[in-house]
Amino acid sequence: MRREAIAWERAAEVHAAARGWRRTGAIDEATHRRIHETFPDPCVTPGAVWRVLTGGMVAAIVLCALAAMALSVWRSATEIQVLLLLWGAACLVATDVLEASPRSARRGAAGVTSILGVGFFLMGLGLVLVETVRLRGDDAVDVLLVAAVLTCGLAAWRWGSPLFTGLAGGALFCALARLPQGRLLWLLAGAALAGAAAGRLDDGRLAPSHRIGAAVLTVVGIGAMYAAANVYSLDEGLLEHLARLAPVREDLPRGARLAAAAATALLPLAVLAWGLGARRTFLLDTGIVLLALSLVTLRHYVQVAPLWVVLAVSGALLVALALAVERALRRARAGELAGFTAEPLFSDERRQQALQIVPVVTALTPEARAPSPEPGFAGEGGRFGGGGAQEKF
Amino acid sequence: MAHGGAPGSRDVNPDVVRAIARLRAEHVLSAGQADLFARVARRGLVSIRFEIRALLYAGVLLLTSGVGILVALHHQEIGPLVIATGISLAAAACLLWVARRAAPFSWAEVTSPSVAFDYVLLLGLLLLGSALAYVEMQFTVLGPRWAYHLLIAGVVYLLAAYRWDSRTALGLALATLAAWRGLSISLVPAATLGPGVAADLRASAIALGALYVGAAALSARLGRKAHFEEVFASAGLLLLLGGLLSGVLDDHRAWDLWLVALLVVAGGVMAVALRLGRSLYFAAGLVAAYIALVRVLFVPFRYGRHADSIPLLLAALLGSVVLGVIFWAHRRMRGR
Repeated sequence: MRREAIAWERAAEVHAAARGWRRTGAIDEATHRRIHETFPDPCVTPGAVWRVLTGGMVAAIVLCALAAMALSVWRSATEIQVLLLLWGAACLVATDVLEASPRSARRGAAGVTSILGVGFFLMGLGLVLVETVRLRGDDAVDVLLVAAVLTCGLAAWRWGSPLFTGLAGGALFCALARLPQGRLLWLLAGAALAGAAAGRLDDGRLAPSHRIGAAVLTVVGIGAMYAAANVYSLDEGLLEHLARLAPVREDLPRGARLAAAAATALLPLAVLAWGLGARRTFLLDTGIVLLALSLVTLRHYVQVAPLWVVLAVSGALLVALALAVERALRRARAGELAGFTAEPLFSDERRQQALQIVPVVTALTPEARAPSPEPGFAGEGGRFGGGGAQEKF
Repeated sequence: MAHGGAPGSRDVNPDVVRAIARLRAEHVLSAGQADLFARVARRGLVSIRFEIRALLYAGVLLLTSGVGILVALHHQEIGPLVIATGISLAAAACLLWVARRAAPFSWAEVTSPSVAFDYVLLLGLLLLGSALAYVEMQFTVLGPRWAYHLLIAGVVYLLAAYRWDSRTALGLALATLAAWRGLSISLVPAATLGPGVAADLRASAIALGALYVGAAALSARLGRKAHFEEVFASAGLLLLLGGLLSGVLDDHRAWDLWLVALLVVAGGVMAVALRLGRSLYFAAGLVAAYIALVRVLFVPFRYGRHADSIPLLLAALLGSVVLGVIFWAHRRMRGR
């Protein structure tokens, strides 16, 4: 990243914190203004809606222009390959120019051009490998995965995008899965990546976005370890399906299933313990998701009760657990327990509440009634819903 | 409050920690302010409110799904009366819990007594809605007008939203009322109201959308639950602009009239949004107008050698103009 871009990001971090302090009334307007004067941020930073709108429109312009040119010049496959590579290069140059200016760096356009640029480049490269160089399918996939690791890694390093960091991590593990002993490599590389990235989470020499990238890599590493260790993944050979050669079903080594079962149970707990000990919420969130996956795995192997019992009981337990945690924190001295609190602190509670309306409405609204003519009620059919469930009976 | 960072780690946000030290040294922040802010920045105090919310949401989702499956699979063994009574009792228990903890009614915004409040209310309302649907399905109380149970559920949700000041319940109410009219509120209205949509559905979408937008305006103007304005307006604009857009895209005989209507409405929405400083409403109007105008670009170029490439190029040019409008509008809103 450019030195000035890192400085802008650092100032933006301070501004974001100051906004939180001001929102909760912890500082007055005059103090807020003085903080802005002490840490000037020259970047124009529109809100999320403006950034999405700008990004969406830039994407529409780039894609429409590319499609128009492709339809005009399409005579052979080579022309499309050249066009994709040129368009990709143009998008990447545009990203670098946009990122260099404080007026355009945070408007949402640079993010979209970088994604399109990398996408066009990889698509163009894929077509070159298959149609011009005439590589075999497996070889082309291997080269493309290595190219994806390098391209996304470079983009993450240059522009600090956590999305590219995650994509580079994902491509790396896909590439590793294609090697012999892919599962073992996932375990080792996942542990190494999570350990190395976790060590840089609070490194003040890194740009703020690179520190977020380190958090993303930590999650990717943990996820890879879990995917390799999960007993269902082992039984079904999920990772082996990504390998170059079709998987050969061999007898698993003695104790491997037992070790995998133990890892399926213990890894989420270890991540939760790590999150609690280090007081990192992203690790807590990861641990909760992994624990849910482990419970689903358990349900797959051990069917102790019908599905509706499992769903209802686990739902009731989750609600009870959340209520108990909230109650314990609320009743604790000064509203905190071991450094945790249920208070929003300086986060934007109102915004979070507004955002939660979308998943609630999407998942829990009853299905729309059938359009006219009104069919009347037949009695023997229909749907029951309203609770996220839509079952025929 | 104890001071210090998280065990075995350095600063969580080194930039903010450094800034706090400097602001304290320059007497911009007092010692008390700096201590609290630094403690949070060093992860000495961490909020898990989001995690509690996520657990509650997942719990409600699982619980209601479990109840749904139970009813679907075992309703004959258990018996309709037992099921209806059981779900109703569970809903009543949730709503009773909410009623006992709720603050007195006010037309102003009321802070939730706890983070769980909204979710227990949501669970109670969903169970109540399920009970209504089940009773209607088993006992056919409303007969051929069975779909009216959605209207009843929507009105109950609406009343609950006002009584207990819940924007989540309001969102659910608006979506349920839309479902009663056969509509799905979605983030991509053109996809749901797209090709093949019946004319009465389109009319319903436009009427309901206008009603919601009107309710948003009244909420803000009268100061009665003014913070509900954005929920009403967002749902209303999705339905209104989605309905008009479906006319432009789907009604091959009168698409030009729909286009004029859409451009007028979208222009009005954008003008009001600029005046009020509402970026989301402006975005909704602009996107709807852009999609409609792109459709126009394809009309003169249906046939010929460059039937596809020229309208695509024009769409890109139109996008550039729209991008200019976005920058202009953002600058203007920021200036205000």
